[in-house]
Amino acid sequence: MQFGYHGNYLRIDVSAAIGDRVPLSDTVLRQYLGGSGLGARLLLDEGGATADPLSPEAPLIFAFSPLVGSPLTTSAKFAVVSKSPLTERFNDSLASSGFAVAGKRCGCDAIVIVGRAAAWSVLVINDGDVRLEPADDLLGDSCQVAEEKLRARLGADYRIASIGPAGERAVRYATISHDGRHAGRGGSGAVLGSKRIKAIAVRGTKYCEWAHPRELTELSRDLSKRSFGPATAKYRELGTATNLLTFNRFGTLPTRNFQIGTFEEAPSISPEQLRVEHARTRSSCVACTIGCEHIYSLGHGKVRLEYESLFALGSLCGVSDGTAVLRASKRCDELGIDTISTGGSIAFAMECVERGLLDEPWLEFGSGEAVLKAIELIGQREGIGAILAEGSRKAAQMIGQGSIAFAPQVKGLEIPGYEPRALQTMALGFAVGARGADHNRSGAYDVDFSDKVDRRNATLDSVRHAIDTEDRAALMDSLILCKFLRGVFTDFQAEAAVMLQAVTGWDVTADELRETARRIVATKRQVNMLAGWTPDEDTLPERFLDAPLPNDPAATLTRDRLQELVNEYHRQRGW
Amino acid sequence: MYVEFLGIPRERAGISELKVEAETFGQLLGTLALRYPALQELITADGLHPSIAANLNGDVFVKDLATPLAEGDRLLILSADAGG
Repeated sequence: MQFGYHGNYLRIDVSAAIGDRVPLSDTVLRQYLGGSGLGARLLLDEGGATADPLSPEAPLIFAFSPLVGSPLTTSAKFAVVSKSPLTERFNDSLASSGFAVAGKRCGCDAIVIVGRAAAWSVLVINDGDVRLEPADDLLGDSCQVAEEKLRARLGADYRIASIGPAGERAVRYATISHDGRHAGRGGSGAVLGSKRIKAIAVRGTKYCEWAHPRELTELSRDLSKRSFGPATAKYRELGTATNLLTFNRFGTLPTRNFQIGTFEEAPSISPEQLRVEHARTRSSCVACTIGCEHIYSLGHGKVRLEYESLFALGSLCGVSDGTAVLRASKRCDELGIDTISTGGSIAFAMECVERGLLDEPWLEFGSGEAVLKAIELIGQREGIGAILAEGSRKAAQMIGQGSIAFAPQVKGLEIPGYEPRALQTMALGFAVGARGADHNRSGAYDVDFSDKVDRRNATLDSVRHAIDTEDRAALMDSLILCKFLRGVFTDFQAEAAVMLQAVTGWDVTADELRETARRIVATKRQVNMLAGWTPDEDTLPERFLDAPLPNDPAATLTRDRLQELVNEYHRQRGW
Repeated sequence: MYVEFLGIPRERAGISELKVEAETFGQLLGTLALRYPALQELITADGLHPSIAANLNGDVFVKDLATPLAEGDRLLILSADAGG
């Protein structure tokens, strides 16, 4: 008997509305676990590495995990895996919601979607039975409205993942939304839109057995108890947005398209100030005891705000109007676009205007109204929005005049809110990341904010730390557990092995999981190699190399130093 | 010297900054624990709780309780996990 898994994936060709169950061997499941790992394996097997990501044959994979549906806190997560239309490289974006639990209850460990529907449709999966329904009445709707309409149409027990108008228009960083959360980075929403699928609705009744339910219950109880402690207090009490003032104090807060690392008006958009002007409540993902979501009132509505949205739509665009940042974040949610890539693309355009490379005089740093207008244009792919919908790398290629030097991206993915010159272990993590500049696949900022390294002067010793955080992230993203739990573990791999034993019955060890993590990272690289990766992609934009960070002259990352770090990274990886 | 609180330590202390006299990092933590009882859950006999970090003058992160502090130093006490 198989525990924790169903032993198959559901392969759906939406061209014909046909679903087939494809067996998954114990060997594959044990080697890749679930989530990002299993998704990467299936992407290779399905030929996704070489396909045009917006073509009918390109697979879009929703990968669940052995822990989904278990009582372990934060385990209701899934990974959306595809080739990215933004980067043309591997992409995995994770999210938490009831969609993970309901999707797995359809009796599969992953859902793979290929093909293109004849007309805009809703893909309905009821206990594994597949059908398409018309989506004409949903076109143009925000993710949230589409979700509400579908629950009314299909029943409240369906869980919905949908795209907004941006996904319909193939904005290259469109998200897939569900329960107010997003599989956010890399444009999986554009991939789903390219298949003419507005939404996926899932409902199921098939449960997995656990190998050792009593032990699993005890482990879950213990983990939940620890999740209430000091290690998660920051997320629970303040939310990730509290990073803003900390990063500003350290001079590592990206400001005005990474021109500087401090924002003089940071206090005015800090969560400490926002909560004075906007009532704030807290919420949790499904099956989570941390409760990191901090939701602010905004007129008659409300908006969830994370640090990455705050920096990208705030300091990165020079915006000091907190209400404008909240409105911008809310509008991104409605349109279904990634806030980091949105803010990065707009900030890039603002600098182009500042330098006289773009004739859009309204698009000025500091203007909240300009950010809001640009977001609308991106969502509609109109005017300058049609260029910015391509992301900052492609926009720079269109604008030319050397603007690629300050397009804030690696491999096409916009850089999150960590100034690389002042956080140089993170700079390495950005440079070598399989999906591009990424704070969720490399946690090297943790190392930079510690006594392990000199954050402004990375040495070859920094490399092993960067690799450790990348491996840890690969394992957490495949089991799947929330990274906000990372502080509660003293030896994550050892504890993860015990959890996996309780769920699957496997005699898995910490060492085996370390090897599994390395295999998953290597598999993502294998996708990239087949997709056309070249060594010169593992770098940072010119802006960050050889010149000091203006607010911190000691923070200088030379081209040679970064190359040494990248070379050492490849050497230690055995690549 | 000066202490700046960020993140959870600021929430617990209820202030963002204070001036204090201390010759070592360990002595400083003892003083803070006495003056701000709400910080005691973040300060152990070995130093700061692993979820909290201390940084001297924006440059180096410190753990050693014997680390000397000088007049004019600024010690930043912050939530250790910087991620979002």
